[in-house]
Amino acid sequence: MATGTAIVRVPKEVQKGQVIRVQMVITHPMTPTRRDPQTGQETPGHFLTKLQLFYNDQLVSEMNMAAGISANPFIALPLKVESSGVIKIAYEDNRGGKWEKTAEITVK
Amino acid sequence: MNRRKFLLLSAVAVAGLTFAPAIKPAFAASKLEEEIKKRLGVELKAIKETAEIKLTAPTIAESGANVPITVEADIPVDKVERLWIFVDKNPIPWVTDVKFTPQNGQVFLSTRIKMGETSNVRAILQLKDGTFVMATKEVKVTAGGCG
Repeated sequence: MATGTAIVRVPKEVQKGQVIRVQMVITHPMTPTRRDPQTGQETPGHFLTKLQLFYNDQLVSEMNMAAGISANPFIALPLKVESSGVIKIAYEDNRGGKWEKTAEITVK
Repeated sequence: MNRRKFLLLSAVAVAGLTFAPAIKPAFAASKLEEEIKKRLGVELKAIKETAEIKLTAPTIAESGANVPITVEADIPVDKVERLWIFVDKNPIPWVTDVKFTPQNGQVFLSTRIKMGETSNVRAILQLKDGTFVMATKEVKVTAGGCG
């Protein structure tokens, strides 16, 4: 899969007020910036820097990260669901890449 | 305490202060302390351990490139500002920080992190009242994941 694609997984049916876990896997190399100890030359890394979780366009969580998170990051965050709606994750990397992915949630 | 005893004791104390950093391989720890001071604005020593944070991580990691960690806290989410994850001996000890809002419903994070070598993993909660609490777990790493 291409860098930046994501899978977001949420429960199919939830009850009002239930706290669910929004699970996501994002395809990304997450390579750190490396510095050659002899020459001092830097090899730039490629990693996600920020991830935001939205619920009906309202910002719920914001996560900052760098190459300390493993390649193809798996992240699970909690969300209290009040009504059916759209969960969106928006994420960006240190090379200007920006992506979004949505998932729908239905309250029974 | 007489004069001789006092002099002897102070000499021991001074020697202790001078040599303690040399005896202890404190480089990694001090790097962590610097990082925590820089990012949180408090000293690591000032952060209390609490049983209210549950940090789950393997005791021995199969690979340092992929260490699953889960943080769960019994503290209500509306009292929490941010969750920080640090790994003591990583080249950059700061791994991630997550801002929580009441809409989260709960303090929870599950992810996979990289670890360069055997070290402590720390989950630090920054509370709304400006204080910090922490949970620590040691993870043994046989094959590092940062090189």
